[in-house]
Amino acid sequence: MPTDRARATRVLGASDLHLVERFSYGITPRLAGQVRRAGGAAAWFAAQLEPARGADPADDYSLWWPYLAKSPDELWEASRAKEMGGGEVMADLQNFVLLRRIHSERQVLEVMTEVWENHFNVPVREDKVFTWRRDYGDVVRAHALGTFRGLLRALEVHPAMLLFLDAAVNDRDKPNENLGRELLELHTVGIGEHDEDDVKAAARVLTGWYVDPRTFAASYETARHWTGPLSVVDWSHDNADPDGRAVTDSLLDHLARHPATARRVCRMLAVKFVSDTPSDALVESLAAVYLAEDTAIVPVLQHLVASDEFAAARGAKVRDPAADLVATYRAVRPRFSRPPSGTSGRRHAANMLNYQSSTMGSAPGAWPQPDGQPIDNASWASPARMIASLRMHWYVANGYFPSKGIRYRTPQQWLPAKRVRFDDLVDHMSRELLGRKADKRLVRACAKACKITRPSERIHRRHALVKWHFGRLTSTILDTPEHFTR
Amino acid sequence: MSDQTCCEEFGRLDRRTVLRAGALAGTTTMVGSAVVTTRPASAASADSVLVVLSLRGAADGLSLVVPYADPVLRAARPGIHVPESELLATDGFFGLHPALDPLLPTWRAGRMAAIHAAGMLVPNRSHFAAMEEVEDAAPGSGTRSGWLNRLVGDLPGGSPLQGFSLGEGVLPISLGGPEPVFASGSVDNVGLLGEKQGKFRRERERSLSMLWNRDRTVLGDAMRQAMAAVDDFQPAQQQSSRVGTYPSSDLGRALADVARVVRGDVGVEVVTVDQGNWDMHVNVGNLSGGRMVKQAADLAQALAAFLDDVRAFRDEVTVVVLSEFGRRVKQNTNRGLDHGHGSVMLVLGAGVRGGYYASWPGLENTEDADLAVTTDYRQVLAEVVHRRFPAAAVSSVFPGLVYDPVGFMRG
Repeated sequence: MPTDRARATRVLGASDLHLVERFSYGITPRLAGQVRRAGGAAAWFAAQLEPARGADPADDYSLWWPYLAKSPDELWEASRAKEMGGGEVMADLQNFVLLRRIHSERQVLEVMTEVWENHFNVPVREDKVFTWRRDYGDVVRAHALGTFRGLLRALEVHPAMLLFLDAAVNDRDKPNENLGRELLELHTVGIGEHDEDDVKAAARVLTGWYVDPRTFAASYETARHWTGPLSVVDWSHDNADPDGRAVTDSLLDHLARHPATARRVCRMLAVKFVSDTPSDALVESLAAVYLAEDTAIVPVLQHLVASDEFAAARGAKVRDPAADLVATYRAVRPRFSRPPSGTSGRRHAANMLNYQSSTMGSAPGAWPQPDGQPIDNASWASPARMIASLRMHWYVANGYFPSKGIRYRTPQQWLPAKRVRFDDLVDHMSRELLGRKADKRLVRACAKACKITRPSERIHRRHALVKWHFGRLTSTILDTPEHFTR
Repeated sequence: MSDQTCCEEFGRLDRRTVLRAGALAGTTTMVGSAVVTTRPASAASADSVLVVLSLRGAADGLSLVVPYADPVLRAARPGIHVPESELLATDGFFGLHPALDPLLPTWRAGRMAAIHAAGMLVPNRSHFAAMEEVEDAAPGSGTRSGWLNRLVGDLPGGSPLQGFSLGEGVLPISLGGPEPVFASGSVDNVGLLGEKQGKFRRERERSLSMLWNRDRTVLGDAMRQAMAAVDDFQPAQQQSSRVGTYPSSDLGRALADVARVVRGDVGVEVVTVDQGNWDMHVNVGNLSGGRMVKQAADLAQALAAFLDDVRAFRDEVTVVVLSEFGRRVKQNTNRGLDHGHGSVMLVLGAGVRGGYYASWPGLENTEDADLAVTTDYRQVLAEVVHRRFPAAAVSSVFPGLVYDPVGFMRG
């Protein structure tokens, strides 16, 4: 009996797929359709880079977690009253961020928001940071496709950053050095460009910014600002005015436009989007664009994706565990439902995202240090991580966990036709889940996993594979090197 | 402040967990803020097991092991110094922080040494750069491996197990390098599937081999190591956990799992564990409250429980406790301590000749004064390596070091 003819799921060409995979959380048939309608990946990318676009429906998922809408003082009160702990609010935020990455139509914005949140990492678990952490993420997002200068100005003295790096309540004469140090070492010029005196002077520049330890109201307090001449690296200022906000801006602008910052930021972007070993020539050319465009981010990204090095780097980047989780859900496409509030919603899938991600080794905002989590391949290629990913793929592919508040597609829904050859079914699932055709290796591996001896075997609704073992097929496709990379 | 979350696993990702430099090789595992990494060097049982516990965030050695006879300390730390009358195991100059009380039996048994004013010879106040330097431990050599990775490479055996991972996260630099190592957040999570799959397990293994056997990237290496390690690790999984005897903390849970690995006797020779939260820029506190007393108590209780848990291996297990650098002598205006230089190292267990060891540099009460370093921390590590792992060469584990032992290990 012949196989029923089914229209094959269309896939993108290899170079289009490369660009889309690198700048999204994973290809889906829907995204592939959007790319085709835009006229190809380059046009899709250009449209995604426009910062002023309409709201993303995925933003509304924040409404699933009502505490995310509360102000810093309300959150603090709720925590003091033991009504809602700060850690719970942060878990809500992490769940929301993951759910938005899964569903967002603005994938490039999501990806870039993560990049900058990691560069300016403010760990969600940091004491008291929960009061301002959602706002911090929103500010990052607002600037993610703007300028680095804008990002630096908005984030360096954001209340969440001040709280994290001990600058929220500072001593004018002997300011805490933490924020000043990370401004130079991590956020801008980097190690080797400054000394201990620069750290002390930078800390002094940043005095005056204030977060009230009782109300969490943020303000600038002139009485807390240290005045007097200061120099940091190759910048100096007489700093005579008790209102030092202009001095902060002056230093941050200077550092944002510093060639050492340009190289450092552009190298980070090249490692994130090209390969672990970008050439110096690529980094230099990106830095030149960065400086010529006054730290604008979009021209740098456009230059990056137009480079030969980018084109040659297909599949060269490992997905970290959080990205694996998001890509897995994008591939498997279950429907999440809003969890009920209170304890009855705790095991619902939308509330399990951060848990799933954390137990594999990474989660949004979880990295506990100011340097942000590593973005190289080797850091996320350990035996333990592989085991954790295989386990997650197996649970999700079979719909075992999470099982509440989520509706998985059934095997019958995945079947492309009433009767289909096994090898055609593998090809179909590969197109649906990975956005590419199946090769012989994948067909053989799936046959082994599903105990199918003949690739021509006909699969239908009442076949044992469909009735009992479909998760083996799905998980095998998720376990491929292609799904572990982007 | 209530900080409960719906699942305790992710309520544990605490501040100052693991300090990591940007570019690292390898990967690991986290038990909340504690990280456990093990490296089984051979399937045979080990003669010596070295547990390296890193206090992440730069621990203040002057609070843990107090040089109370140095007159400067009290003046420099009016709000936070521990009074002499409260100290334990005083010898006329040094005394232990009272929160280290659970370790007193070990101290009295002569199985705990404190080496003070130890650290890197050249100060480095950046957590990340310092950590990289401390754990690489080969200044100027241009090596891209950590000292523990070189130690493992020097030891005979080389099991087919190419690496082992007890959790999530990123490998400490000390273990990173060409020798494969393994890491995992929990002993129980080591398995190809979330459940016993009976006959299907073989099919899955074959299928994974087909998918990955030609993949020569770091991912392919990791997948092959994972598959090889899963079987050989089972004896550790069969050991029951005695986590109830440990403090309910990340470090307690991590060390309870480390003990299972030791008792499972799967050939692990080097284990690293981290304890976060030592970066005390604010509120170091005193004996009635604040961060130090809590943190030191967690450290001591967890270590004491661990030593008891592995008492059947008391002639094998040596624990080294170190931090990337120390803190300043003088307290800051937040009753905290900023980044300094020298600190204290602790060595406990097998082969230790207990007591205080220091060439005391004297303290100064000036704004930026540090505890000066008089003992290169590599001498301390080298002495442990030399005494506990005769098969390893100090010169290859610590290139360029002129070995000059302190004398806290028995020959």
